[in-house]
Amino acid sequence: MKSLMNSELGMFEQTVSDFAAGELLDGRQENDRFPYGPLFEEVLRKARAVGFFSVTLPEELDGCEMGVTELCVLLDSLSRIDASLAAVIFTDTLAKEIVYRSRGFLQLKDLVARVGEYGGGLFAFPSHADPADSRGLLAEPVGEGLYSLSGTVDYVVLGGIAGSAVLPARTAAEGYSFFVVDLAGPGLGVSVPVASLGLHACPAVDITLEGARGALVGGEGLGAEYLERVTGTMNAAAAAMSLGVMKGSFEEAVSYARQREQGGREIINWSEVRRILARMAVKLKVCDMVVAEACRNAEESLPGWELGARAAALYSGEASVELTTDGIQVLGGNGYMEDYGQEKRFRDAGQIRSLMGIAPIRELELMRKVLEGEPLY
Amino acid sequence: MFSSNGDRAILDREPRFDDITSSLKSVSKMPKAAFRETAQVIATARRFNEEVVRPRALELDRLKHEDPDYLPWDMVEEANRRGFYTMFIPKLFGGHGLNMPSLSCFMEEVASGCTGIANLIGVHYLGVATLCASWNLRVMNRVMRDTAEGERNGKPCLISLAITEPGAGTDVEELELVGKAKVTCHAERVPGGYRLNGNKIFISNGHLSTWHMTIAYTDLDDPANTTVMLAVRNGMEGFSFGRQEHKMGQKACPASELIFEDCFVPDDLVCFDALQAARHTRSMQAVTMQVIDYVLSGSRAGVGSFGTGVARGAYEEALRFASQAEVGGKLLINHEWAQCVLAEMYKNVALARLSYVETNYANGLYGLFKVLHYKPLFYLMKYLPQQFVDAVVQPFLNMDFVTWLFRKIYFDWQREDEYQRTSGWASLSKFSATDAGVRNCQLALELMGGAGVRTDQVAEKHLRDSKLLQIYEGTNQLNRLNLFKCLIGRSVPAAKVFED
Repeated sequence: MKSLMNSELGMFEQTVSDFAAGELLDGRQENDRFPYGPLFEEVLRKARAVGFFSVTLPEELDGCEMGVTELCVLLDSLSRIDASLAAVIFTDTLAKEIVYRSRGFLQLKDLVARVGEYGGGLFAFPSHADPADSRGLLAEPVGEGLYSLSGTVDYVVLGGIAGSAVLPARTAAEGYSFFVVDLAGPGLGVSVPVASLGLHACPAVDITLEGARGALVGGEGLGAEYLERVTGTMNAAAAAMSLGVMKGSFEEAVSYARQREQGGREIINWSEVRRILARMAVKLKVCDMVVAEACRNAEESLPGWELGARAAALYSGEASVELTTDGIQVLGGNGYMEDYGQEKRFRDAGQIRSLMGIAPIRELELMRKVLEGEPLY
Repeated sequence: MFSSNGDRAILDREPRFDDITSSLKSVSKMPKAAFRETAQVIATARRFNEEVVRPRALELDRLKHEDPDYLPWDMVEEANRRGFYTMFIPKLFGGHGLNMPSLSCFMEEVASGCTGIANLIGVHYLGVATLCASWNLRVMNRVMRDTAEGERNGKPCLISLAITEPGAGTDVEELELVGKAKVTCHAERVPGGYRLNGNKIFISNGHLSTWHMTIAYTDLDDPANTTVMLAVRNGMEGFSFGRQEHKMGQKACPASELIFEDCFVPDDLVCFDALQAARHTRSMQAVTMQVIDYVLSGSRAGVGSFGTGVARGAYEEALRFASQAEVGGKLLINHEWAQCVLAEMYKNVALARLSYVETNYANGLYGLFKVLHYKPLFYLMKYLPQQFVDAVVQPFLNMDFVTWLFRKIYFDWQREDEYQRTSGWASLSKFSATDAGVRNCQLALELMGGAGVRTDQVAEKHLRDSKLLQIYEGTNQLNRLNLFKCLIGRSVPAAKVFED
């Protein structure tokens, strides 16, 4: 990402890194205990106060009007310390971008201005699923753009803490539609936080709706089109999160290998350990270049940049799972214990990889686009 | 066409015929009853899985999340009630005496439901294997009969192995490394026994065990030549438990710190030390390595079975999900790519299983199990009434002569190529099966997408559990080096191991 840096972006990166070091580092292990420990509400309040939510939205919508690059720098720098806050930002941004890109400016304006608790302006979204496979929720029109929603939606990220959710549902129209739902409204049942592999401080819930009110986002049956409009940005964002986790794991592994001795010498001087570190370094460097390239192409709106972002997310997701597995291995038994950050990074990497649906299905989707003529390189 | 002249020399070329034919050689030597026993063992494990493991695996995981100091005594008591802590202890020592290789099959089954619960049982046998590898029949008889008594009176009596120290993990499993290791667990020779000082960490089942096979050193500057193995019992003065580690997975099985502060261990609980080794042909260092190799050749096959089990558990969850979930308008299992992923996972399980089975054949021919697998002795022990064993045979176990005889067989008469074979294959099984375990868990999550990261879908728990398998019983990197040392480097005169 260094190749992208100008003085302004560099300052932004430094600000985010300082925030992460000051607000996330010390509490990382305790924050990760959620739901068996408290949620890091104070961190969420501070993150909102410094403008980390809705960074890509216009100022009128409480946003910072930043581009893909700034979003990626933000998520990368946070994930280097603790990816949970980055995942909160990712989910909120994904939901809001879908509404915004459907020309839902006014719809958003009222909702993001909600005051009160830290979660009031946050949006929830089932960000680990492909909405096209979501058939559990049905919507019946009740007039004036409002619908009655009944059914279930699994694993709605932030569903237990956000004020609103963007949920996919089926109407009489072909395809699926998105609806904005008030999570404090009647007709909603929210489960306890769903225990998961990683990103514990970015919790998810299962939601049951029985005649709950939902406001249609854009037009009926156009959900896939709206999702497509944000897919490039959000894939780049997911890749940046994987990248940040990789950086944290690599740095911890090198630091430990310099200190830990076995067989009378530092393990970094065992050539097999050093080779594991070298393989981690190669994966990290390649992903760094891939994400930077995706950002650069996005900023210049080069043809096919979205395809590059999809490839970046798929590649970085897989590489981060492999790298963090080695990241534990370098630390041996210590890497498996919660006292070090490595086991959390291993879990978070696996969780991030599942963002936006099943990876092999996303690979097939990428190939479909290539076969339809989108430029790959 | 065939000529015996010169065949031996040709067959001894790498890969050596004897290295790759343990299963073939075992066919005629294996007692038929061992096969029936194995079927019985697998059926027992599957019932345990259905009735206890699968219904409770996620609950134990959650309880440990909620309370890091939680100890699953009820699960240990259930396993004790079912006789699992004596099932594979020879009848000579008061156990049920089922054949030792079937322990691996048992472990695969239980680990396919929960590797943590499998450890609650399997790690006890790591302690048993350590005790047995000392071939001190008097101490073996005393400690293992305690376990048998614990089964009768409903108070579980588990055995742990305490070897890892804060500054030495990988080091302590290779004599070439332990000489340079920062070991701190000191056993000082005093009148009537040893005075033990130091800490052990990451001791699986530590807080749940009654006996602890503790490895220490009389000279911390020369651990390779001064290793002692002591049997420490709960309640001995100067012995206490420290903290439990906060692990990512395998949460049902605690990893404990053991603390020794001027803990006096009397001579009758010394399993193995330099004085005892001096009665045998090989050097102290060579005998110590044999003891370690006997333990690891058995325990690494056991970890191979854990790896196979978790690989299978992940495969089964992925198969279940693919059979139920619709993706892109049709069941996931009807996507060609998903069928190929499931086939790959099935292959990983099958090859991992073959690796531990072959290792156990080698252990039966050349290693820890060989005397008990000798057909006449196998059947004698199988059909002799336990009362007769207890009344007539048991007193012999306390005679020095019997210990001397077993050590003659296991230490002096074991050839170098034999322990290279068992040790090399055990390492092969350990790292290939556990790599397969982690790989299958990652494939399961890849196939299941968002559902895969939910704990209630089980696959993510398997992934967390699986990672530890690549680390304990020697990291997979150390095991690769050991395979090189045992089965490759020995034929390359220029090759040096651990001298990078």
